[in-house]
Amino acid sequence: MYPFGKGAARLMPYLLLSIPVLLYLLLGFGPSMVTVLFSFTDASGVPGQSWNFVGFENYTTFFTSSDSGDRIASIGRSLYFAVAVVVIQNAVGLFMAILINKKLKGDVFYRAVFFLPVVLGVTVSGLIWQLIANPLGGPAQAMMNFFGTSSNFFGDYDIAFELIIFVQIWMYMGYSMTIFLAGLQSIPNDLYEAGYMDGASGWKAFKNITFPMIAPSFTVNMLLSIIGALQTFDIIYVLTGGKFNTTTLAFDVYATAFGSGTADYGLASAVAMIQFLFVFTVSMIALYYLRRREVEM
Amino acid sequence: MLKKSFSLLLVTALIVVLAACGKGSEAVKDGNKKVTLKIIHWQQENINNYIKEFNKKFEEKYPDVQVEYTTVPADSTYDQLMQTRMNAGSSGDADIIPLKFSFVGAPQEWSKGAADPMWKQWIDGGLIADLSDQAFIKNYSPTDVKNAMTYKDKVYGVNMGKVALTGLFYNKEIFEKYNLAVPTTWDELVHVMKVLKDNSVEPIGFGGKDVWPINLAVQGLQASIHDDQLEYIKGLWTGKTKLTDPVQLEVLEKTQILMNNAIGGFMGIDYGTLPSLFATGRVAMIADGTWDATTIQTANPEMKFGYFPIPGSNDPAKNKNLAGKYDMTWMVLEKSPNKDYAIKWLEMLSEKQNYTDFVNAAGFLPTQPDVRISSEFVNEIQPSLENFKLSWDQLFINRKNVGQYIKDASVHAEFLAPAGPLKTPLELAQKSQADWDAAAPK
Repeated sequence: MYPFGKGAARLMPYLLLSIPVLLYLLLGFGPSMVTVLFSFTDASGVPGQSWNFVGFENYTTFFTSSDSGDRIASIGRSLYFAVAVVVIQNAVGLFMAILINKKLKGDVFYRAVFFLPVVLGVTVSGLIWQLIANPLGGPAQAMMNFFGTSSNFFGDYDIAFELIIFVQIWMYMGYSMTIFLAGLQSIPNDLYEAGYMDGASGWKAFKNITFPMIAPSFTVNMLLSIIGALQTFDIIYVLTGGKFNTTTLAFDVYATAFGSGTADYGLASAVAMIQFLFVFTVSMIALYYLRRREVEM
Repeated sequence: MLKKSFSLLLVTALIVVLAACGKGSEAVKDGNKKVTLKIIHWQQENINNYIKEFNKKFEEKYPDVQVEYTTVPADSTYDQLMQTRMNAGSSGDADIIPLKFSFVGAPQEWSKGAADPMWKQWIDGGLIADLSDQAFIKNYSPTDVKNAMTYKDKVYGVNMGKVALTGLFYNKEIFEKYNLAVPTTWDELVHVMKVLKDNSVEPIGFGGKDVWPINLAVQGLQASIHDDQLEYIKGLWTGKTKLTDPVQLEVLEKTQILMNNAIGGFMGIDYGTLPSLFATGRVAMIADGTWDATTIQTANPEMKFGYFPIPGSNDPAKNKNLAGKYDMTWMVLEKSPNKDYAIKWLEMLSEKQNYTDFVNAAGFLPTQPDVRISSEFVNEIQPSLENFKLSWDQLFINRKNVGQYIKDASVHAEFLAPAGPLKTPLELAQKSQADWDAAAPK
């Protein structure tokens, strides 16, 4: 009943829990609050230089300065990225999960293969696709040459962004698949048997049994991929460095803080705040609809 | 009981760790009574190798000093490292920091409202040591000290040399094979490219994926087409000149011609592979800075190559000179706990013999007078360097928060077909001018 004993020893769990809380406050919450503060100042990031409160000036700059067009375009690109990733990644993930759930021979092997990119990490995945798309003797270029054409791949304004979306999906589809698979395996077989008696098989069984039953995994997957997609910065950095119209809002935060020769922590913090509000709003709306769907069934 | 003491231990360990954060690097000194001199740098193999050797020599002369030399990739990684080490301030995370260029880009009286570059903010913030009174500054030629190391009449840095960046490397064997002479006018360059193409040799390679290497060629054209780049830039600020002026359109038109003659897929080639592309003979010419001569030589020691200014004009006299920048400027941190040793390090590096070895290893053009250059390559391009001028990117001062068509490097040929989506030079010029106008200070 009292794993930590009686008396003062009962406080031990609180003491132990206070360590991560302290660390979080110190390294997570604290800096976040400083960002909020910075977004209302003209802090430059140069030590020893004074900074002043400037009210909403940084936010005004974001929406009205001469490069606002580029910034708003990057918000649009973030949304495009998120929609494409969320739809395709989950569709592909669900499809693969259903196939693997069929108790195929060697399903462990398939699972491992599809999950591998998640384990590899962004830099390695980025490197792999860089090598594949290498215009000097890379396999993708060789294939294009075979059909008598060529491409600049990640250096091409027309397709660079779509290629990044593709790599992002390739990287995380195994992740979605695993969550769907867990959901699928929790569905009792009796349901399908009962459904079969009532004449439900194939698409009908999927629509009326599988899909409602995996609603919780669906919610988790949707939310994770929406938040993940809206925050994506790393794969863009690795593949194009934000060039060729591949800058998203999350990348803009980085570019403003560290990109050009001058540091402007105030504006960068404001961009970060806008990014936070953007992700927060979108995911709250998504959560509302997803939860409602869960309750209905 | 065991559990209890274990968790107590954990908590204590954590407190110690947290408390230690504030202490800085004092522990280093206690251990072996050695002073650690911290130097950061970007990766450039030939230079890094020389500095490592020099550090050994320095440690021999000053046995109580240990040099910690950190190098990271030259792209934005280095800019970030500089910034974070600078922010660490007096805790001694760096003692010597080199800039990738010299003190350029400071707002002028004709550029009201331009952003301050990092180095200027650092100096204004009192973070960089004043070296004006150091005796070794006299080793450098007074003009170079004035142009590259001085800010507000005080010397804050030691510039290690100049590099030219507005030329093309060319493969001498390929040129010989097709009886081609080094072009001195635009028409001759067009002819060279045509002959190469007719013989199925790829004329030019660009590192398009990193974008800025294309800009080297643009700057070559600008240096030879513009009569006076600085006047033109000033004019942009006052409205006297426009980015849509015929001269600038000519630059873009000729850039487009160069890109149309470039190797297929050049927008997918990164800067790092450019030297090997050239050294293996897959392209006859590449747009690159003189600093890469040693890299090319290492990639193929047998290769015979040269370097000529991009002839943008049809008047050979205007094409004669290379343009470039002052490279690498060492700065000592004012609040460094080892400031004395940092200055001694610079003093020793500035000694005639050491400096000579350095420029020869780096392939720089010296900022000290009477330095003997052993590099055949540098000696060969010497005639084009006699009236060395600063390149466009060293002169240009940008407006704050400008749009993408004029941001950073100011000329963005990567938006122009065949590299990008804009079909004609005029379109790009108009968009650039529109972005420039929109950013005008109110």
